[in-house]
Amino acid sequence: MVASAASDTPRPAARRSLPVVAAARRAVTDGRIRTLAFAYLFAAVAYINPVAYRHTYPTLAQRLAFAHSFGANKAVVLFYGKAYDLLTIGGYTAWRSGGTLAIFAAIFGLLAAVRALRTEEDAGRAELVLAGIVSRRAAYVASVSAIAAQTVVLWIAALAGLLIAGLPAGGSAYLALAIVSVVPVFAGVGALASQLAPTRRVALELGGAVVAVAFVLRVVADTSSTVSWLRWATPLGWAEELRPFTGAQPLVLLAPLVTSAALLIASAAIARGRDIGRGVLPARDTAAPRLRLLSSPTALALRDARGTVLVWLAGVGGFALIVGVISKSISSAGISKQLQRELARLGSGSIITPTGYISFALIFFVLAVSLFVCSQVGAARHEEAEQRLETLLALPVARPRWLGGRLALAAASAAALALVTGLLMWAGAAAEGVDISLARMLEAGANCLPVALLFVGIAALAYAVVPRASAGVAYGLVAVAFLWNLFGDLIGAPKWLVNATPFAHVGLVPVQSFRVAAATVMVGIGTVCAAAAIAIFDRRDLLGS
Amino acid sequence: MTNAIRTEQLTKRYGGTVALDALDLTVAAGEVYGYLGPNGAGKTTTIRLLLGLHRPTSGRAELFGVDAWREPVAAHTRVAYVAGEPFLWPSLTSAETFEFLARLHGGTDVAYRNELVERFQLEPDKKIRALSKGNRQKVQLIAALATRADLLLLDEPTSGLDPLMEVAFRNCIHEAKGRGQTVFLSSHILSEVEALCDRVGILRNGRLVDQGTLTELRHLSAQTVEVTFDGEVPQIPPLPGVQVVGAGPSALRFEVSGPVRPLIEALAERPIATLTSREPSLEEIFLHHYDSSDGRVGG
Repeated sequence: MVASAASDTPRPAARRSLPVVAAARRAVTDGRIRTLAFAYLFAAVAYINPVAYRHTYPTLAQRLAFAHSFGANKAVVLFYGKAYDLLTIGGYTAWRSGGTLAIFAAIFGLLAAVRALRTEEDAGRAELVLAGIVSRRAAYVASVSAIAAQTVVLWIAALAGLLIAGLPAGGSAYLALAIVSVVPVFAGVGALASQLAPTRRVALELGGAVVAVAFVLRVVADTSSTVSWLRWATPLGWAEELRPFTGAQPLVLLAPLVTSAALLIASAAIARGRDIGRGVLPARDTAAPRLRLLSSPTALALRDARGTVLVWLAGVGGFALIVGVISKSISSAGISKQLQRELARLGSGSIITPTGYISFALIFFVLAVSLFVCSQVGAARHEEAEQRLETLLALPVARPRWLGGRLALAAASAAALALVTGLLMWAGAAAEGVDISLARMLEAGANCLPVALLFVGIAALAYAVVPRASAGVAYGLVAVAFLWNLFGDLIGAPKWLVNATPFAHVGLVPVQSFRVAAATVMVGIGTVCAAAAIAIFDRRDLLGS
Repeated sequence: MTNAIRTEQLTKRYGGTVALDALDLTVAAGEVYGYLGPNGAGKTTTIRLLLGLHRPTSGRAELFGVDAWREPVAAHTRVAYVAGEPFLWPSLTSAETFEFLARLHGGTDVAYRNELVERFQLEPDKKIRALSKGNRQKVQLIAALATRADLLLLDEPTSGLDPLMEVAFRNCIHEAKGRGQTVFLSSHILSEVEALCDRVGILRNGRLVDQGTLTELRHLSAQTVEVTFDGEVPQIPPLPGVQVVGAGPSALRFEVSGPVRPLIEALAERPIATLTSREPSLEEIFLHHYDSSDGRVGG
C-alpha cells in the first residue's frame, strides 16, 4: 500500500489474531461433530456403568459373589480388560467404562490426527494455509493443539458422566484422565502414519493396524497370567496400570506422556523435511491398466472397497478365532445358580460355559458388522459429496441401479463377515476341543446378518433423506441401540422399552436358537427402508459436500 | 428433426434463491451453442437440470425429446458430459477411467480415443490422484469426445487447460461439428465462444437476457466508427442513433445503433483522413448486458 493512501484512509480495524491460533481454531471447528459424538459416548458409558452396578448389586454379599466369578472370567476380561476391584462402584466403573472407553479413545486419537495432519493435505487445503504466513511448524503445532483441546473436551465429558453417576470427584478426574491418556499416544501414531503414508487412506490403515495390535496385546496380557508383562507393551495396558479407584499409580502416566511426545516430535521432524501432499513411503502413481471390475458402478465400488472389506474380514475373523480359542477355558465351577442368573442379565447371555461365552461374545460381532454396513453406506455418500456421482449419473446409469448396487454390495460384504465370524469362531473352539458343530456356529455367524441388514436399510434411508448428516445418524443409531441393549435392562427400564433395540432380538446361538421370526421382521424392515431410500433418492437433487 | 435440447419455462429454486428463472431454450441438432454468463449466473444449474441431476421446481427439460428428469437414463444414451470440475476416481489410472466411463456409456470409439490421448499429450497410466487439475480435465474431455455422442454437454471445459491444449480442444469441437454432433458449451471465455459457436445465449441472474447468432446480437448493439480528419474536427449535426463517445484534437469516435448511413452521409462532405468501423466484440455485447440497468450480477 502506498504511504499516502495509508495515512489518508485509516486501515480498517482488522481482527488481530495469531495465525497459529486461527489455524488451530479452524481444526477444532473442523472436528467438532466427531468430538461431540465421542464426548456423548464417553459421558454415556461413564455414567451408565456405576448406575447399573449400584442397581444390580446393592449389597456387599452380591458384590463379593460377583467379583469372585465374573471378574476372573477370561471371557469378560477379553472385552473389558483386567479388573482389580469389583467390590466398589469405583473399581467396577474403572474396569467396565475404562476398558471400553480406552479403545474408543485410541480410535479417536488416530482419526483426529490423520484428519488434521493428512486429510487437509490430500484435499489441497493445507497448501492454502501454508501459502499464507503460517509456517509448517506453526501449522503442525496448531493441529496438535486442536487435538489437545478435543482431548480436554473428552476428559470433561467422561468426568461429567462419572460425577453425575455419583462417584467422588478426585477418583473420577483420575479415571477420566486414565481413559483419555490413550488419546495422545494414538494421535502420535496417527501423526507418524500421516507422515509415512502416501495417502490419507493408507495412513488410516497403518494407524488402524497399530490400534488392532495394541488391542490384541492387551487381550493376550489380560487373559494369560504368564505373559501379563505384555500389558506394558500397549497403551491400552497403561490405562489399566494407572489403576483408577484401585490404588492409583500416577507415575505410569509417564509412559503415555513420553511415548506421545516422542511420536509427535518424530512426526514433526519428518513433517519439516517432506514434500507437502506426499508421504515418506513411495506412492505408486503409475500402473498398467487393470480392467477387471470396471463394468458397472457397483463393480467399481467393489474395486474401491476391496481393501477395506479385506481388512474387516481379517479383523473380525481374527477376533472370532481368539474368542473361539479362549472359550475353552470358561467354566461354571463354583458359581451359584442365583449368580448365574445375574450374569445372564449383565452380559446378554450366560457366560459361564464355552458355548455360553461364544453366545455372549456374538453380540459384539453383530455390532461390528452393523458398524461396517454404516461405513459402506457412508462410502456411497462420499461418492456423492465428492461429486463423482454427477459424472456417473450423467451417463446412462439409473439412480436406483447405482444406489441398489451399493446397498447390495454392503449386504453381501456383511454376509461374508457373518460367514467368517461363524467359521473362525468354530475353528478356534474346535481346535481347542470344544464340542460344537460347524453348522451351529455358521448359524451363530448368520446372526450378525439380520441386524446388519436392518441397519443397511436405516443408513440408506438416512442417506436419502438427510445426506449431509447421514453418517452421524447411522453410526449414532447403531451405538445407541447397542448401548441400550447392554444397559437398558440394568438400569431398570420397562421390558417393552428395553426390547426397542434390534440387538435385543438376536437369538444368541448356540445357547439360544436363531430367532427366525425376529430375523425375518428385521430383514423385512431393512428391505422396506432400503426400497424407500432408493425411491426418495430417485427424487432428490444431488448434494455436494 | 427433433431438437437436441429443449427447455420450457425451466425454473429452479434452492430454498428462497431463484437459480434459474423460466428458461426457454432450444438447441437444434448439429448446432454449436455457446452459453455465456458470469460465475453464479445459473450455467451449471442449467446443465444439472438438463441432465436430470437436479429436479426442476417447475417447467421441463428435454434431450432429443426425452424428459431429462423422468427418464434420465434414456436421455443420457446420446449425451456425453464434461463437468466444470474434474471429479474422478483418484485410485484409477486414466486408462482405467476411460474404460470404466466407456463401459457405462455403452461403447466408445477406441481408435479416436487413442488419437485424442496423443493429441492432448496425456500419460494414460498415471493415476488420477497424481494428475494436475488440467490433466484431469483432459481425461474428462477425452472420455466425452471419444464417445462421439450426439450431444456434448460441456461445462467450462477448458478451465485449467494451457493455450496449446485449448487449441486442440477447439479443433476437436470443429471436428465434432463437422460430424454433425451438437455441442452445448457453457463458458465465460468469450473468445472461445466467439470462435466456436453458431449461436449464443447470455444468462444473467438465472434469466436468458439475449440469444441469437453473433450477427444478430451485433445488430442489436452499437457499432463503433472512428474518424480522423485533416485539420480540426468539423461540426457534425446531431443525428438519430448516433452518439459521440470520444473526441481528440482531430478525431471523433461514434457509437451507431441502427443504420450507419445517416452518419456516412453527414461525413461525406468533410475532410476525412481515415475512417474505421468496427462491429462490437462479443465482450462488448456481454459487458453491455451486464453494465446496464440495475447492474447486479448474480452471485
